[in-house]
Amino acid sequence: MRSTRRVFILLAVLVILLPVSAVEQSQNAAAQVMVTNVTIRPQVFMVGDTGTITVEVINNGAQSVAIRRVTLYDESIRVESHSYDTTQYLGAGNRMSFTFTVRADVPEGIYYPTFSMDFRDAGYLRYPVKLQVQDQPLSVSVLSKPDTFTRGKKDTVEILIGNPRDNAVSGVTVYPTGDGIEATPTRFFIGMLAPDQAQKVSFSLTPSESTVVAFHVDYYNGMNAHTETISIPIDVGKSKVQAELLVSNVVVERSGSRYTLTGDVTNAGLEAANAVVITTGEGAVPADPYRQYVVGTLQPDDFSGFEVTFTVEGERTTVPLLISHKDADGNLYTATALVDIPARSPAEEKGERPFLPLVGVIIACAAVIGTVIWHSWRKG
Amino acid sequence: MKNVLDLLIRPARFFAAMEGKEPDLKVPALIAIVGGIISAITGYAMSGLYAEMFSGTAAGEGMGMFMGLMGSIPAFFGFILIWWVLMAGIFFVISRILGGSGTFSGTLAVTGYGLVPVIIGSVISALSLLSYLPRVTVPVIRNFEDPAVVQKAIGELMQDPAMREFSQVSVALSVLFLVWSANIWIFGVRHARRIGTREAAVTVLVPVGAMIVYLLVTLVGGIPFTGGS
Repeated sequence: MRSTRRVFILLAVLVILLPVSAVEQSQNAAAQVMVTNVTIRPQVFMVGDTGTITVEVINNGAQSVAIRRVTLYDESIRVESHSYDTTQYLGAGNRMSFTFTVRADVPEGIYYPTFSMDFRDAGYLRYPVKLQVQDQPLSVSVLSKPDTFTRGKKDTVEILIGNPRDNAVSGVTVYPTGDGIEATPTRFFIGMLAPDQAQKVSFSLTPSESTVVAFHVDYYNGMNAHTETISIPIDVGKSKVQAELLVSNVVVERSGSRYTLTGDVTNAGLEAANAVVITTGEGAVPADPYRQYVVGTLQPDDFSGFEVTFTVEGERTTVPLLISHKDADGNLYTATALVDIPARSPAEEKGERPFLPLVGVIIACAAVIGTVIWHSWRKG
Repeated sequence: MKNVLDLLIRPARFFAAMEGKEPDLKVPALIAIVGGIISAITGYAMSGLYAEMFSGTAAGEGMGMFMGLMGSIPAFFGFILIWWVLMAGIFFVISRILGGSGTFSGTLAVTGYGLVPVIIGSVISALSLLSYLPRVTVPVIRNFEDPAVVQKAIGELMQDPAMREFSQVSVALSVLFLVWSANIWIFGVRHARRIGTREAAVTVLVPVGAMIVYLLVTLVGGIPFTGGS
């Protein structure tokens, strides 16, 4: 009976002491769980961006730890994914990652959402995660563009895309849009743009009319697509540097119905004039041997002599001289110069020939000669 | 002046005044040279058309001077040789057949005097040419080595309305003034060859008639006859 009583007392002590010992063991084991790595994608959020925060924990203890709930919370940063509510064990020496989707609908700044891991019978682990929100888009600027575009002529526009952010952006693509614009290339892919780095992009634009061209820069900050746009006006007019062909030293000579025009053609522009061809325009009919005169290429400040032959239609005192050339892109330009031609006599202008007056002369000569002959024989 | 008028209007009196004198060839030669110069000028003006015709070829560059020389030099010597020397020779031979006598220099002298109307006709013809030349449309030859192309271009030039009119005017003037010269030559040959008027007329009218027929044939046939008369 006495021994039975001792057993009861021992059991009672065990019942009282054993749970206390178990709780102490759990707390000791949970203390060995710590955060080893935090990964934030994107590294720096833009306002409104959605991203992920991945927290990696490790159990450095010799016992497994029971995890009841893992969550992330913050007053400003919205956590869009659910908590990890299922009880699970983190084995001794094991690692475990917990990823949360967050959305930064907050102003620019630095935020500290809290990573919380609740242990079963052993309290919890709290770890503030640094989340930076930067409202700084890519910088887009125009490096160079012509003052004036020429219709149908290809000109180059240089764009500079810079990344002033603290993190790299990916998938950077640049492309121009606009009515009446033909661009080469149509799209330029840059890819990754590191922080504080810039990339220069050149586009060849061929406008058909005055318009506004917009350069769009598409890029990704993590999984978030963003676009920056810069617009520049395209004023179609006469280029300040294009070849300008001037005609001088013009001499027009007439031979019969045909005119021979000689002169010099000079390139007074700043670009080379290719395939320079000179001929006459409306009102003049090109005639052999120089219906048109091919000068070829004229460099700036270069000149060449030319000769064209033509006849004219009707009564004209001037004829248009057509001077055409092509630029490096093959665009054709034609300039017209009016050239005075020698005046014709009134009879020529009327297209009359002196036949009737000469018939009169012949008749008069016949009369005179007949009279003279008759007179010579009468006296002889 | 009086002598010139006598020559043109009263050739019988003009040649009668030379009776008994030795034939002097200086004045007839001068007349022939003047005629040659006028022919050369006309030939030079006509050569401009041909130079223009060949200006489309590589060989045509700078051909104007060559064409000018080719047109004027033969015209100058041609006039002197054909219209003076050859014509005098023909007169001399025919008149000899018809019983004429006298020296060749005498025939040469009267033939030279008789060229004055021909020269007047040449001057009028040359002036008419100057008014027609600007109106002539000259075809340009590109292939100088192709005879067919050259022939076609020359044919086109001759068929030019202005050119055809000039040919008609030129032939008409030539015939008229040749008839006038023939009239003088008849009196001159009668004097120089001491033959009758009928024989002198035959002597002169045979070659002159042949020349006139030739001119009319060339006019109808479209073959140009330039210079000379």
